[in-house]
Amino acid sequence: MVNALAWFSQSGVVQGLILGAVLAFLTAILLMNAVARTITTTVNGWSAIRKCGQPGNGVLVRAACAKALPVVNVFEEAAYWTTTVDGSGQTLSGGHGYVLHFPAGKLPPNDAFWSLIPTDIVGYMVNNPTNRYSVGDRSPLAQNADGSVDIYLQHQAPGRHEQNWLPTPSGKFKLTFRVYLPGAAILDGTYQLPSIVKAP
Amino acid sequence: MNRLILKYGRPLTAVILAVFAWVIYRRIASGDGITPLAIAAVIVWVIGAPAFIYLWPRLTVNGYKRAIVKHGFGDGPIPVNTLYAVPGTSSPSASRGSLMATGADDLLYVGGWLDLSKGPQVLHVPDLAGRYFSVQFTDPSTSTNFAYVGKRTTGTKAGDYVLSGPGWKGTVPNGMTQISSPTDSALVIGRVFVESDSDLPIAYGLAKQIQLAPLKQ
Repeated sequence: MVNALAWFSQSGVVQGLILGAVLAFLTAILLMNAVARTITTTVNGWSAIRKCGQPGNGVLVRAACAKALPVVNVFEEAAYWTTTVDGSGQTLSGGHGYVLHFPAGKLPPNDAFWSLIPTDIVGYMVNNPTNRYSVGDRSPLAQNADGSVDIYLQHQAPGRHEQNWLPTPSGKFKLTFRVYLPGAAILDGTYQLPSIVKAP
Repeated sequence: MNRLILKYGRPLTAVILAVFAWVIYRRIASGDGITPLAIAAVIVWVIGAPAFIYLWPRLTVNGYKRAIVKHGFGDGPIPVNTLYAVPGTSSPSASRGSLMATGADDLLYVGGWLDLSKGPQVLHVPDLAGRYFSVQFTDPSTSTNFAYVGKRTTGTKAGDYVLSGPGWKGTVPNGMTQISSPTDSALVIGRVFVESDSDLPIAYGLAKQIQLAPLKQ
């Protein structure tokens, strides 16, 4: 008995168990991230997972969704898009200014509301002096002469169009676009959010 | 803490793997065999990875359960079968617990944990007069949403919904709608739309009326 215990403590089995458990955890994370990528659709830099939250999802999709978007609404209740890159694939950063341009009549169709929120990379809101943390359908956004709408995403206040300004964190950031009760054009995929364009 | 792990996940992983590499190197360098170690590691790895994937949704929902029944959102723990309406919208000053710094700032959140093992509960929603709201019921074993009450699914008129666990065989009172839960537990997340700062007290008044009560037999 004592011999067996001595062998157990010196053979490396204990280290092996710990090592195996940590490797299993890391493997699971990598697999869930990989599955999440395969079920993510990205258009114009905006990524969404439409399958999450639905009863009937398989084991892998359930795990990938729980990892990527924990306890998220089903897509027909609320459509979520996120992005950490602009339309050309470059990482969003408070060091640059960006414009989100909606052509006339192309704000997202919905039966409830929409909003756009910048956060840090992890997803937490970041303080800013204006106390403006989102723009959405209730924001008094100014229209251009042709009826289109530009939203200015930058850390410092722009010289003009301040009512269309959404302050971003100073470092790298993430954007989340939510549309509650998305309209038919969003659900069937014909409506797409426009690209984030880096300001010249 | 979670925030730090999320932010520095890769460097932390690299440090942990480096420690393992060092342990294995020490064993080889000191002449001890690594066969028992390798066999144990491979067995745990092969069994453990699918187990983590299978359990991940449950672990995630249990995290929310802990946040609700152990910590609450500012007014202390929220007992099971009680819905708590968070009085303010999400904001960066996450004094109400970090979960509240990740939501939308145009919604009031309502949270609670459902336990149907002692009988059904009745969800009451007030008349929201067209205002957007939803109450999401999430199955903790799969982290999927098995039912919704709200503008999309049931409309915005006042209503009472009987939430019953598996195996319940009672009768649903007149005027109430039954929602069968696949398990005796469920995560409940309510959302009530806030039009503006001046609308906040009205929205909060409505959110507080979204309540659970035991079904009277």
